[in-house]
Amino acid sequence: MKLRFDPVLLLALPAAIYMVIVFAIPVVVLVARGFMGADGFTLSNYSSFLSEPFNWVVIGNTLRVAFWTTVVCLALGYPTAVALARSKGAVQVAMLIAIILPLSVGVVVKTFAWQIVLRRDGIVAAILVATGVWDEPKLLLFTEHGLVMGAANVFLPFMILPIYSVLKLADPNLQDAAATLGAPPVFRFFNVALPLAMPGIVGGVSIVFSLATSMYVIPSLLIGDRFQTLATLTGRAFLLMRNEALGATTATILLFLAVAIVACSALLSRGKGDSR
Amino acid sequence: MTEPTRLALRHSSLNRRGFLAASLAGAGILAAPAIVRAQPKEMVVGGASSQQTWTNEIMIPAFEKKYNIKVVYEGTRSLVNLEKMQKNKGSQYLSLVQMDDPVMITAVAEGLLTPLPKVVPNAASLKPGVTHMDGMWVNYLQPWVGIAYNTNRMAAPASWAEAYDPKYKSRVILPGLQNTEGVMNLFLASFLKTGKPMAEAQKDMDAAFAKLKEMKPNLLMAYTQEGQAYNLLEQGEAFMVYGSISTLALARKARGAPIELAAPKEGTFSMPSGVALVKDGPMPEMAAAYIDLMLSPEIQAQLAAATYALPTNGKVPAPAGLDKLVIHPIDWANVSANRASWVTRWDKEMSL
Repeated sequence: MKLRFDPVLLLALPAAIYMVIVFAIPVVVLVARGFMGADGFTLSNYSSFLSEPFNWVVIGNTLRVAFWTTVVCLALGYPTAVALARSKGAVQVAMLIAIILPLSVGVVVKTFAWQIVLRRDGIVAAILVATGVWDEPKLLLFTEHGLVMGAANVFLPFMILPIYSVLKLADPNLQDAAATLGAPPVFRFFNVALPLAMPGIVGGVSIVFSLATSMYVIPSLLIGDRFQTLATLTGRAFLLMRNEALGATTATILLFLAVAIVACSALLSRGKGDSR
Repeated sequence: MTEPTRLALRHSSLNRRGFLAASLAGAGILAAPAIVRAQPKEMVVGGASSQQTWTNEIMIPAFEKKYNIKVVYEGTRSLVNLEKMQKNKGSQYLSLVQMDDPVMITAVAEGLLTPLPKVVPNAASLKPGVTHMDGMWVNYLQPWVGIAYNTNRMAAPASWAEAYDPKYKSRVILPGLQNTEGVMNLFLASFLKTGKPMAEAQKDMDAAFAKLKEMKPNLLMAYTQEGQAYNLLEQGEAFMVYGSISTLALARKARGAPIELAAPKEGTFSMPSGVALVKDGPMPEMAAAYIDLMLSPEIQAQLAAATYALPTNGKVPAPAGLDKLVIHPIDWANVSANRASWVTRWDKEMSL
């Protein structure tokens, strides 16, 4: 089949030109810088970075926090998205406002608020002591748990909205049809509800995961200078150490991880889409 | 074409002509910056933007009044000032610079500065330890580093060693090594561990990290943004900020925060704050006079009061209670050469 040029595609041209200038070219320069040594092309920036055991700790920190942030977002976001898709009228509007409005509050403000919430005399510690989970107030601030809680709060809308946008298109009668045909709830969930929601889940997971691997302000405020991730290491390499080779290397590894995640989830969602 | 339109057009074309003439004139000025710069009675000072307030409020009015000359202050960062001098070598437009001491070392190495003592009479009354590299630059103030503590939670710590006491479990905040005041904690730790004189302790990083690691249970966090640290301190979540700059801590105290800055008995360090004459800069006599005024007892007293820093002129009394505070010199060349490796080591050894 001969490919025909669709003039409507030209509508994407301004955005494409803009992104090439402000994103593609700088990224190419950045990636190239990581492969540049004193005398031309080299892999030594990568080999020296990856041969340092501590840097694997940093990569582990980055992926672990991103993983748990995504898990918390999914656990809270999926039921919310289901409820949102089911709701109608004023309730749905109120829910959407409640989900979207927090996006307009800056990350720094939110993170400072978490600092108050997670304090030893903060509300989370008070609840956990009052319910007997804790014997005495403990520190949540500047721990990985606190970081995951704060990050999940910031990224939750990015999980809810893609799942919701898929669920609202699914026919609600399919659930009832399955029930009529005698499918028990657990079976219905895994064989009807989940496959229907899968493209949204994959989309939400890939967005939240890539945002969480590259977050910079949230860890620097919620866990501080003693917990390095690839993003904070990149910032420091450029801003403090003026080590461009190191910064380009860590940034490229981070970019590679994010692209790999998006690519994998795109493949996953395509597979699911075809099977429908 | 209607009459008003034609009028408007003519009007606009006149405007355009006027604009063209003006922009040509403007381009002429841009093309010949030396002419503008050579105009007398305006002197440019390069400094940090954080010093803009007191420069504009105290320094410049006093100088302009005394010498009837206009001073322009370009507030930026030390490294930018260095770059300005590098790029304009041979046709400098800055007469003097205020920069951090480590950057001064680079500027001296590149032959961008000229010695002060002979042309700046007040340099003779400076305290020991604030004149560097045979007078290439001097410290005009000493913002000193102490322990900021929450007065509702604890009494004044008398020693740097106090923060290691187990009773302060997860109540101490350290600056990260990205912050200059954080680097000083390495020297203090080494000093506490080895008991060596401070000058030697600055070289013993193994002892420094060994000691600092002992503080880990007491650490609430290490900051990169000092605002967050003071926030936690004032809320009482942290009891002390270990390595707190007087200029910041005492300004917050003055605004009513329940904090105080302790000056430990072992002595302390001061933040970098140097001023120097640019080599072959314009108006060298005026520049020298500016620095001389800056170091004069009258201005020193005003600057010290406004910034909560120690004066560097020996004739100006230190603020009450601080007359015995020892300020140890820092080997900035050593810091510049090794800071990156210290940061890497800090990441590994001080991590959660």
